[in-house]
Amino acid sequence: MLFGRKQKNPIKIVDKGIVEWKYATCGYCSTGCAIEVGLNEDGKPVSSRGVAEADVNRGKLCLKGIYEHELFDSAGRGTVPRKREHWHEEWQDTDWDTALDVSHDEIRRIQEKYGRDSFAIISTGQMLTEEFYTLGKLTRGLIGTNNYDGNTTLCMASAVSGYKRSFGSDGPPGCYEDFEHTDCLIAWGSNLPEQHPIIYWRMKEAQEKRNFPLIVVDPRVTMLAQFADIHLPITPGTDVVLQNALMHVIFDENLEDSAYIAANTNGIEELREEVAKYDPTTAAKICGIDEDTIRSVARVFAKADAAMSIWTMGINQSTHGSDGVVGINNLSLITGNIGKPGGTSLSITGQCNAMGTREWSSCSGLPNYRALENEQDRKEIAEFWNIEESFLPEKRGMFQTDIYHAIEAGHIKGLWLIATNPLSSLPNSERVRRAMQKLEFCVVQDCYQDTESAQYAHVYLPAGTWAEKEGVMTNTERRVNLVKPIVEPPGEAKPDLWVFNQMAKRFNKDNRVSFPDKAADIFIEMAGISRGRLADISGMSHDLIEKHRGVQWPYTEEQLGNNEQPPPGGKRLYTETASFCYADGKAKLIPLPFIDNNEVPDEKFPIWLNTGRLVEHWHGRTKTGKIGNNNKYSPIPFIEINPDLAAELDLQRGEYVRLVSRRSDAVVMATPTQRVPKNMIFLPFHFHDCANRLTLGLLDPHSRQPAYKQSAVRIEKLADQVAAAKLSMEMRAF
Amino acid sequence: MLKRRENEPAYALLNDPSSQAQNHYGHAIDTVQPDDPLRQQSFVINDDEIAAENPNRYKQHGFYFDADNCIACHACEAACSEKNDNPAHISFRSVGFVEGGTYPAYQRLNISMACNHCDDPVCLKGCPTRAYTKFAEYGAVLQDPDICFGCGYCTWVCPYNAPQLDPVKGQVTKCNMCVDRLEVGLKPACVSACLGNALDFGVVENIPENRSQAKTEIPGFPRTDITQPNIRFQQTRTPQRDMNRVDQSPVKYHRDEHSESFKPVVDKAQGSERSWNLAKLLGSHENAHIAFTLSAQAVMAAFLIMLSGYGLEPMQSYQSSNAMLPVQLLMIVLMSFGLFKLNMHLGKPHRFYRGFYNLRHSPVSREIAGVSAFYTGLLGYSLFALFAVSDNGFAVYAQYLQIVFAGIAVLGAILGGYYMYRLYRIEARPFWNHWYTAASFCSSGLTLGSLLLGLVALATSSMSQQLGGFLMVLMAIGLLLEIVGLSSHARSLRSSESEGAASFYLQTTRFGNAYWLRNGLLLLALVLTAYIGFGDEHTLFAYSLLTASVFASNIISRALFYVVVIPTTMPGAFFWKNAGFEEHAREVGLADMPQMGVAYEGHHAFRFDELIETIRTTTMKQKYAQLRSIFTG
Repeated sequence: MLFGRKQKNPIKIVDKGIVEWKYATCGYCSTGCAIEVGLNEDGKPVSSRGVAEADVNRGKLCLKGIYEHELFDSAGRGTVPRKREHWHEEWQDTDWDTALDVSHDEIRRIQEKYGRDSFAIISTGQMLTEEFYTLGKLTRGLIGTNNYDGNTTLCMASAVSGYKRSFGSDGPPGCYEDFEHTDCLIAWGSNLPEQHPIIYWRMKEAQEKRNFPLIVVDPRVTMLAQFADIHLPITPGTDVVLQNALMHVIFDENLEDSAYIAANTNGIEELREEVAKYDPTTAAKICGIDEDTIRSVARVFAKADAAMSIWTMGINQSTHGSDGVVGINNLSLITGNIGKPGGTSLSITGQCNAMGTREWSSCSGLPNYRALENEQDRKEIAEFWNIEESFLPEKRGMFQTDIYHAIEAGHIKGLWLIATNPLSSLPNSERVRRAMQKLEFCVVQDCYQDTESAQYAHVYLPAGTWAEKEGVMTNTERRVNLVKPIVEPPGEAKPDLWVFNQMAKRFNKDNRVSFPDKAADIFIEMAGISRGRLADISGMSHDLIEKHRGVQWPYTEEQLGNNEQPPPGGKRLYTETASFCYADGKAKLIPLPFIDNNEVPDEKFPIWLNTGRLVEHWHGRTKTGKIGNNNKYSPIPFIEINPDLAAELDLQRGEYVRLVSRRSDAVVMATPTQRVPKNMIFLPFHFHDCANRLTLGLLDPHSRQPAYKQSAVRIEKLADQVAAAKLSMEMRAF
Repeated sequence: MLKRRENEPAYALLNDPSSQAQNHYGHAIDTVQPDDPLRQQSFVINDDEIAAENPNRYKQHGFYFDADNCIACHACEAACSEKNDNPAHISFRSVGFVEGGTYPAYQRLNISMACNHCDDPVCLKGCPTRAYTKFAEYGAVLQDPDICFGCGYCTWVCPYNAPQLDPVKGQVTKCNMCVDRLEVGLKPACVSACLGNALDFGVVENIPENRSQAKTEIPGFPRTDITQPNIRFQQTRTPQRDMNRVDQSPVKYHRDEHSESFKPVVDKAQGSERSWNLAKLLGSHENAHIAFTLSAQAVMAAFLIMLSGYGLEPMQSYQSSNAMLPVQLLMIVLMSFGLFKLNMHLGKPHRFYRGFYNLRHSPVSREIAGVSAFYTGLLGYSLFALFAVSDNGFAVYAQYLQIVFAGIAVLGAILGGYYMYRLYRIEARPFWNHWYTAASFCSSGLTLGSLLLGLVALATSSMSQQLGGFLMVLMAIGLLLEIVGLSSHARSLRSSESEGAASFYLQTTRFGNAYWLRNGLLLLALVLTAYIGFGDEHTLFAYSLLTASVFASNIISRALFYVVVIPTTMPGAFFWKNAGFEEHAREVGLADMPQMGVAYEGHHAFRFDELIETIRTTTMKQKYAQLRSIFTG
């Protein structure tokens, strides 16, 4: 070869010996990427790749998806059901029948002794839609507790609530294709490159074709903020003020779409009256964005032919979360930007199947956006399930956050936790820990037996994870996509659907309610009760979904009958005039007065604590913390701290500090960076016994979602750095 | 053979309808002429011979990186590690970043970097085992871990941190350009996985669609004149004047007002406090090198000084003194110790014999050849010395043979000594790339060598005023050489715009106390030398003091040499590719968890079984071919 090499050295490149690729939808975030897992001759999953022809990800995957095949084998998986009398005793292995019988007996005992609602069930956004539907049927139809919620209260509840208030129903109206048509994009508290890298890529692709202004509202200079044409480094928790000020300018300069407002909305007068109070000069002092910039952004947004807003936890996880969503919807409605290409208000969802649980779990109501408060809805479902209508409550019960307060108060005595880990994920972990210690009976159903919440469980049920199961998930753009079993769950672990069906048998002695075994059959049942509703999936089936690599709802039986193929993407809601879900078809414009109830920095706790996500980790790190090629990019918790503040604390890069809030403390490593202002630190929330020991999590009045992103702390440099390192390390044992 | 999907998306497909004739450095982009016989050779990957379908196969390819677009999502790294089945602590591609500005006018510039498949691959030239090949196909620089013996020299010379030395397996692996994907028309896995539309790949100098620049520098990227890397950049957003690293390396990049390009300068953010850090200084992975270089230099110098007895008086009597036998023994012991330490520090010590394989290019090969020759000469000379003294018929022949072996040793010492110095003149390691390295090595030889001879003379009551004086003159020359070298080195480092300035900062702060102790010891040794030499004080006490100060100053000097060197590598991130965090993780035990991505140095056993197996399965013909290619390439 070159350089005098006469002989070629042999070229050896790893060949994983893949003989088969199996289809699934990624089980991490709600982008909904279609994925293929490669199996070698022994049937072992050894590789993952994006499905080339899937419209969502077009062959791409993020680093979590690329390593998703390593999940099956990861440490800490549960393989045998376990039980014990008290949580401080050692676990005893047991069999499924015993574990399920004990759980059934305890649920009934607690309900008989303390009342039907004294047993709570908290599920997740991680399971498959058929599983959610089955669990909902079991809970609402047989167990009969009204204190049933999902951990989606921690991420998307404000979006759900805001959509319901503005449009009369949940259901994000936009789609990813909107990026290709928009003339202005505002990202509110959304950091796509870190949270939803594939959606970021779709946006980037669209931007390279047609450059449109990108406006980013975020107190931290994220990569997206850095790439923005206009970055608004807002004061935490004041989004509603900024929204009102933007609307003030729009009305003041007559930039609104009067025809759209008249034809599609109610409440314009009340809205005008409220936003009149938020002139940019006044608003600037509260939200920290100068008045010129407010005016300029309002003009760019309102004058765009099509303008869209996306948002994530920066809006949702706030005491004004639901209001923030309504504010975004207001902005879209007054400029006529709903239901048209490039004009939308699109919540970027968190968990892989948060949408599935919103649509089908019956947590906040009844299947397919039916409400417990609506008599007709109760009647329909009671008949369909073959239960007494009166068995269904007339009002939804507690949210997850309130359930914990009720455990603390002793009103709730038993808990079934399914694929969620509140000890890591709820704010103020020490309060959560105290509550969990009080439970008379707790059953934890999870694919990991080392999930922290299992510390306080009496029964542990080992579940299958992701593609050890079969069913569908719905993504951010309402696309239903399929997960197929790639491998069997390890040991005696079983798919969640099997667990629910086995549990149901114990509550369904007279066999009155039907519980089909197969996910595909359950899907047909669901499709049946979706007919004519907003989320109409009556034209879909598992086979059709796989063939098209995911289908957006609505897709109706009529469309199927007319041989109308589902489009690859670009399906929107509310495209017709006055087609919103309120009775008169009109959306509501809701005035949003601003009350500042955040925990703001003061003399004792002078620093804002901002929390958020890292691209390499998934939620509580139970998955990604065990995969070296994900975890290594941030293996221990750290804060981003302004170098000027670090200098005042005499803090060097890589030293450990103690963060103290009014709740508790946390030990973390410090990296100084000008990414954050001097009065703020950023702390990733992924680590157990860390961020949520500090957070207050004041609840949003509408969605009951906690304000994770606005707390106050003080920072202490630790004298004994070696001890601090050990402490930080011990907390990573999970 | 890699199977290509029927519906691969367009972004994953190679797309070079045309290309330029010459690259930025004036080299032909065609790797070989159209009629070159190399084009007729088959291209075999994993024993599959691949039909030439890619029309651009014999053109130099390279990565294209749009620094405006990288979001540090790690998809490229994950795709690469997934494809190459790399454990968490190894990566062929890494993303680091530099940042600058003040909130909210803050700017972070991410850099994703793998191998640049350079025009002038210093890794290939440096590797003593000939594990590297620059293929005519795509101009790919590929390395074969089955040849590598794990010395890690390629990781020293590469300015981009491309070769990865696995501390567990004891071998180097690196980016293979995904030549298997190229052969089926696909871009490398990292490029196809990019989510920021930052990475691209193709015939070098080709600018991808929608991009306008083909720059060869961005802030944080090491200088390109060392190896002429085949990577081109786009970077249109004006960076801040100062772009800082977030790994714990005291380097930042400062914008040059005239050239607009960025130069590495020292970042004194860690303060100017002086400390000892003796454990870190004396407990590094490079201790084997300290042991080897010091003992080899001492013995080689002592041997040469001793040989001067063939013409020079004081050593002439030394040769006939009682000191001769013990001093030769001591030299053999010391030299064996040094060679043992050097060999056992290899990742695969049983592959030691491969050290000669790259005589054509590698200073390491030449050093090993030279030092081995010297060792052979030393052994032969000492062996025949036993026969040369006794009064028998063989003595004359023994004396002749001694002269032959002395000749071999002298040649070996000159060659080995010179290349021992040459191999540290690495452009990617500015701290070493100075004549001080030569001065210091000579100084070690002169000071330790004369000390060795003097101590043995004292112990065997062979010391004379003349001998002592002669040795003290050599000692003084050695000490002065180090002192002059050091001050020139310091002057040059302080004013340099390179990582060398940062090394000097580390030397005078983190290891500042040891640095000043060494300087003091040098002066003390000089005073003692004068005292002994002029005062004719060849007492055990005086020599003990001198020994202690010379020994300590040499060890500290050499330890500083290895520990404070800062290569011109890519900036790391805060955890990943941050040497400071890796060190911390090993110290506190975080590295016990494999998912940390930090591994401990493994024990690398001398595998006799593998050695025997290689000898057994290699045919005579292969052995001959191997021997021939040592000289032919």
